[in-house]
Amino acid sequence: MGVFMRGNAMDVLAVAIPFLPVLSALVIFLFVRRGRSASARTSVGVTLLTFVLALAVLAGYLASGTPQVESIGTDWGSLWVDPLSLIMWVFVSGISLLVHLYSVRYMVEEPGYPRFFALLDLMTATILFMVSAADLVTLLAAWFLVGVLLYFLLGHDTDRPAAGRYAFWTQITYRFGDLPLWMAAALLGGTYHSLSLPVIFSRIQMAPAVHTLWSIPVPEVAGFLVALAAFARSAQFLLHGWLPYTMDGPTPVSALMHAGIVNAGGFLFNRFAPVFEHAGDVLHLAFLVGLVTAITGSALMLIQNDVKRSLGYSTMGQMGFMVMECGVGAFPLAVFHLIAHGFFKASLFLSAGNVIGDARHHDGVPADPVYTSVVERRPRRPSRLPWMVAASLTILVPITVLALSHFFVAAHPFYGQGVLILLFFGWVTGAQALFAAHKMTQTNPWRLMGGILVSFVLIVVGYTLISHYFGNFLYPGGRGEKLYQAASLGSFPFAVLMLVLALLFVGGWALTFFADTLDLWGSLGARWRGTYLVLYASLSREMYINDLYARLSQILVSASRKLNIWLRWC
Amino acid sequence: MNLVLLLLSGVFLPLFPLSWLFNRLVASAPGAWAKALAILVLPQLGVQLLWTSGLRFSGIAGPWHGPAAALALGTAILYAFRAISVREITIWARFMATSGLALAWLQVLAGLPAAQVQLSLLAWSIPGALLCLWAGELARRMGGAYIGLSGGVARVLPRLSTLLTMGALAATATPVFPGFFVLLNVMGVLPAGWVPFLLPVLFLWGWSIGRFLQDLLFGVYRGEEVEDLGIAGAWAGALVLVVFAVAGLFFWGATWTVS
Repeated sequence: MGVFMRGNAMDVLAVAIPFLPVLSALVIFLFVRRGRSASARTSVGVTLLTFVLALAVLAGYLASGTPQVESIGTDWGSLWVDPLSLIMWVFVSGISLLVHLYSVRYMVEEPGYPRFFALLDLMTATILFMVSAADLVTLLAAWFLVGVLLYFLLGHDTDRPAAGRYAFWTQITYRFGDLPLWMAAALLGGTYHSLSLPVIFSRIQMAPAVHTLWSIPVPEVAGFLVALAAFARSAQFLLHGWLPYTMDGPTPVSALMHAGIVNAGGFLFNRFAPVFEHAGDVLHLAFLVGLVTAITGSALMLIQNDVKRSLGYSTMGQMGFMVMECGVGAFPLAVFHLIAHGFFKASLFLSAGNVIGDARHHDGVPADPVYTSVVERRPRRPSRLPWMVAASLTILVPITVLALSHFFVAAHPFYGQGVLILLFFGWVTGAQALFAAHKMTQTNPWRLMGGILVSFVLIVVGYTLISHYFGNFLYPGGRGEKLYQAASLGSFPFAVLMLVLALLFVGGWALTFFADTLDLWGSLGARWRGTYLVLYASLSREMYINDLYARLSQILVSASRKLNIWLRWC
Repeated sequence: MNLVLLLLSGVFLPLFPLSWLFNRLVASAPGAWAKALAILVLPQLGVQLLWTSGLRFSGIAGPWHGPAAALALGTAILYAFRAISVREITIWARFMATSGLALAWLQVLAGLPAAQVQLSLLAWSIPGALLCLWAGELARRMGGAYIGLSGGVARVLPRLSTLLTMGALAATATPVFPGFFVLLNVMGVLPAGWVPFLLPVLFLWGWSIGRFLQDLLFGVYRGEEVEDLGIAGAWAGALVLVVFAVAGLFFWGATWTVS
């Protein structure tokens, strides 16, 4: 372990990175809290410096680095300068820089402009500490503070009671998610007699079979608790109700929230990867929770009529997919996913205003082909490819591209079930994209299909190559394969799972292909219509989950009030 | 004699149902300064009485240590739960202080040195006392320290509401205030099987402060014009909080974490 005091220039730079935004916040609070442009300039300048330094330290590590723990000499307050921290530092400071730059003009007419930048800086610093914490106390403190600071950022506009209400929802969900992490910290610290994460992880490798008082291996229990904390932070199903409502905060905060903070679950899985190597059952649970979240988030996204709310549920779906990746053992892929998602979601949020502005001028509703043909008397052109061509493209092209790109990077093609599941999902997703393109009405269907094919090839090849090299960077020495092995099922359940999934997807495609031809909707009649309406109503009320929580909290507050009256407020 | 001292220490270092008397005593103190002083002094007196009684503990293993620890945790949970429906700041401060102070019994039962327990008590007493003082200032300006009635206090009384907010954060174990480290220490001295019963306290504090801040900060103020806390008073309050937080890092944080 390295110690900060030894004075290596790169170490000093690394330690300075998370402290720089704290310094900026202090300068704003103490010296420029009345100067609007000075506070913005200070904040943006320091964030830019933080980003540049993060890049420099990453480059230095790539050149000739080894993981270090930088400590100030106490049991806590230490930073872990390892590949995961360095990658996350660059990502967090990059997103933060974008949000800072956007906020300079976007927030200029808001009251509390300097306070907003100071809080943004504090949030950046806290996340930087969180992702590089090398001990349980620093991790807990930073994890806790993220929830507190987010409350104040989301509730920046204090004139609106709704902003306070939704900030509170977020804060209370985050607090709920803090509890399992505290419990995991107590368990790990108490069992392995250390606060240092590297020490705890090395002791787990030496003795993974230590049992708790409930006779369950400690890594299984700790992994389960860490996973619960990650679920709450990454808005997994049943803990997701707050996420779409964070839109009530300022747009830059929504961007920071959806591009950065909500991804913390994926980070936590990766940070505790040595624990999950011995917690296979927890990974299976994570896969299941992620799957349900991905499906629910996507379903809820599809019925929204508000751009920002739709983006919110899209984030939920993406988070579900990220947790699924962890569930199959593809931990580095989850990191790559959270980075990619962070940047594209930030750009979507920051451009949401422009989209809304454009929609006011052009509604974007496509021309009705019947109207075009009958009223405007323009001849109908062939708008779809023949279905045999489309089916061949749909099935063959994605599997060929995936197989080729995967064989290129992997010596043993199917070294883990997780890889198989990911390839399967890649195939399904690609096929679905091509199928959707086939269903679209276009004047030149070949051009559309060609464009989608090229995009698909680029994305898959890029994704496979990047995730492979990224995996080698984050988990050198084949450590990533241990996670795939931990996530593996027995051969029989795995075969059954794959079969069921394949049948589901093929059945779904067949249903959509033949629904019109066989007039399925008509033959199912009113019964289907009723089910559809119930489903739609349930989704439009967000499955009544938030209503349930609100009712439960009302009951508890009322009980608390009655108790106080009974005890005469003493 | 020992039993009387033990009962008295249960009053001053609040343990349900004797905690009712502690709250009654603080509530009946005349004025904000007297209330603040009571929250600061009474718990210290409770620890002194406990030590004078000659009782010594060395871990939650004896026949009645378990029930005593359960009662301490129950007191902390009860007062945290009661705080979620409170809208009067002085009562809220009392309840939060009672909830935190009850946890000191777990440190006492674990056999921690008297000085360490006394320092722990300050982590809960000081925010409670400060909140009482600032609630007094709010009551002087608005006729009462009730939050949520007019809303939007943050806009009309920015300095006072900032201090109240920071005080409330300190009272609910927010890092880097000392309460956070004391809570970690309590978690460290508890056997692993007991920790799940400590965590509801943390959750209820989070819920409680969420409601507190929502009532204090948000909304549009529609009352009469009021004058904010003076600059000197605001700086003095901020200085106390900063010193408290820095002390938290160096005294509570650096030396006591999970054992």
